[in-house]
Amino acid sequence: MDLMLGQVLISGILLGGIYALISMGLTLIFGVTRIVNFAHGEFMMLSMFAASVLSQQYGLDPYVAVIPIAALAFLAGAATQRIIIQPLLNASHASQIFVTMGLSITLMNVALMVWGADFQSVRTPYEAVVLPLGPWSVGVPRLVTFLVAVAMMVGLMLFLNRTYMGKAITAVSQDRMAALLMGIDVNRVYVVAFGIGIACVGVAGAVLTPIYSVFPTVGQYFALTAYVVVVLGGFGSMVGAMVGGMSIGVVEALSGYFISPGLKEAVYLLIFIAVLVIRPSGLFGIVGAEEMGVK
Amino acid sequence: MMQEIGVVARKRRATVPVRWYMTLGVVAALVLLPRVITTPYYLHLLILVLLYVGLSSAWNLTGGFAGQLSLGHAGFFGIGAYASTLLFLNFGLSPWIGMVVGMLLAVVAGAAIGYPCFRLRGPFFALATLAFGEVLRVVSISWRDLTQGSNGLSIPFKPGFANMMWHGKEMFFYVILVYALVAVGIVWQIERSRLGYYLIALKEDDSAARMLGIDTTRCKLYAMLISAALTAVGGVFYAQYVGFIEPYSVFDVNQSVQFALISIIGGLGTVLGPVLGAFIMIPLSEMLRAAFGGAARGFHLVLYGLILMAVVMIVPQGLALEVKDRYKRWWMARQSAISRRKGQADAV
Repeated sequence: MDLMLGQVLISGILLGGIYALISMGLTLIFGVTRIVNFAHGEFMMLSMFAASVLSQQYGLDPYVAVIPIAALAFLAGAATQRIIIQPLLNASHASQIFVTMGLSITLMNVALMVWGADFQSVRTPYEAVVLPLGPWSVGVPRLVTFLVAVAMMVGLMLFLNRTYMGKAITAVSQDRMAALLMGIDVNRVYVVAFGIGIACVGVAGAVLTPIYSVFPTVGQYFALTAYVVVVLGGFGSMVGAMVGGMSIGVVEALSGYFISPGLKEAVYLLIFIAVLVIRPSGLFGIVGAEEMGVK
Repeated sequence: MMQEIGVVARKRRATVPVRWYMTLGVVAALVLLPRVITTPYYLHLLILVLLYVGLSSAWNLTGGFAGQLSLGHAGFFGIGAYASTLLFLNFGLSPWIGMVVGMLLAVVAGAAIGYPCFRLRGPFFALATLAFGEVLRVVSISWRDLTQGSNGLSIPFKPGFANMMWHGKEMFFYVILVYALVAVGIVWQIERSRLGYYLIALKEDDSAARMLGIDTTRCKLYAMLISAALTAVGGVFYAQYVGFIEPYSVFDVNQSVQFALISIIGGLGTVLGPVLGAFIMIPLSEMLRAAFGGAARGFHLVLYGLILMAVVMIVPQGLALEVKDRYKRWWMARQSAISRRKGQADAV
């Protein structure tokens, strides 16, 4: 294989791991609540700042800081659902979208007030370490991110398939009314699902700090991509998020290589629109489930 | 019998002109405003408000009346701005002609994104249109030969009616005032037309409307095309007023959000909603910036975000309907109080 093309593919797959990691929490939340959460990227940004602060002030490695950050993110997510989203569950989509928009503006600017607009980066001993893989090379932080994404996928699948709460979340995401009639406390499922989803994006934020700089609008950069991945993979599907993330990563890398680096976003956004129009249930979603709860 | 008809006729004569007089009065007040407000800053604020009255009214046709929550209207806005500016810079074509071209391009783009996406519901339509706007932004950044990419395009200042540029802000105020009035007028006419009733029907229940023989896709498409063309016109005025455009300002998602936000705060699917929303939200954000912008970076936007959340949570149906409801309730309470008092008086 062409040496250059191979490296492009590898970096695409690893980038896909990053996208998958960010998208898993979103697919869980969007799959269950069908609310476009515009603040998703902001939760990631906040956890990146948290990892950065813990690393600079207390010398905590981002890979260790993942644990307290995930716990905090769970609480923040559950509180967001309970206080802000729950009262609007029966309101129009416009209200739901714009309340999360307000949250996004608020969180972004709180970060701006506290940390300023400058780029901050976390120094780690392994940030520039590169492993050889045949004739190609793989950066350690990206490899770790990819592995975390795989681990998160397996963990979430076990949780969703093996535990009562997980099954309840799956049931609600497939058919809210039927789940309610089966005696599932739907509101509680929402709170837990939102909490877990935000915890996942918290993990993503912490794990990404060795790779990306932190600044208040960093979340916006990733949020739309996360939606592309979620729709491509199918709502609520963890395998879908993984495959979707990797597809988008590879598409981005290849179109950056073959077409133009400036247009790679346009390419996957067009794919996104096409998927929405042709198969809105995504690659791994249940056909028809995407219409649930959406009048 | 004759007497009754006479009463009805007199009543009708009495009610219609009052509305017209009120509208006329408001318009006259607006026309005279630049005579009162001579501070350039306030005039600038007023121009912004009116521009967003027009833009949000246009958005409201799709997002409110047709119930298709678009987050891609920045695309049409940018198409208008870039079309007129590029034609002016490269061919010396008057922005008035560029405006027509921009409208046509926006209509084509509106059909291209709207037609396939109208079967998407709620959040999915929002996401698809969001992606549409982003595609245009990315393309406008990377197509450097045409658009100068991120550097943007500046329009040299050559005052004159043909160039749509004037000394001072007063003339601009009148042009944008006409734009806002035309946009609101079009929405008002559509609300009372057959299309308006069809839109309300399909927004409430798409499949029921289809069952009744309404071609819902065509209705949504009409709403989208009118809305796209009006938004493009706003884009042209924006470009000519500011004199500088770049992908991040005209194709920005936040533009789409702004159009939608103003309509939602004011009242989705109401004629007066965007007017009310623009007159509240634009001065509010400017005021917050003026009051707190210097104190701490971002603080005014934190407040803005919190206010936005609070309004959406407390008044989810929008201020226009809320005010109307309150007024109605107050009126009914007053009426029943009056009749009760009358009843008591009669009993005595």
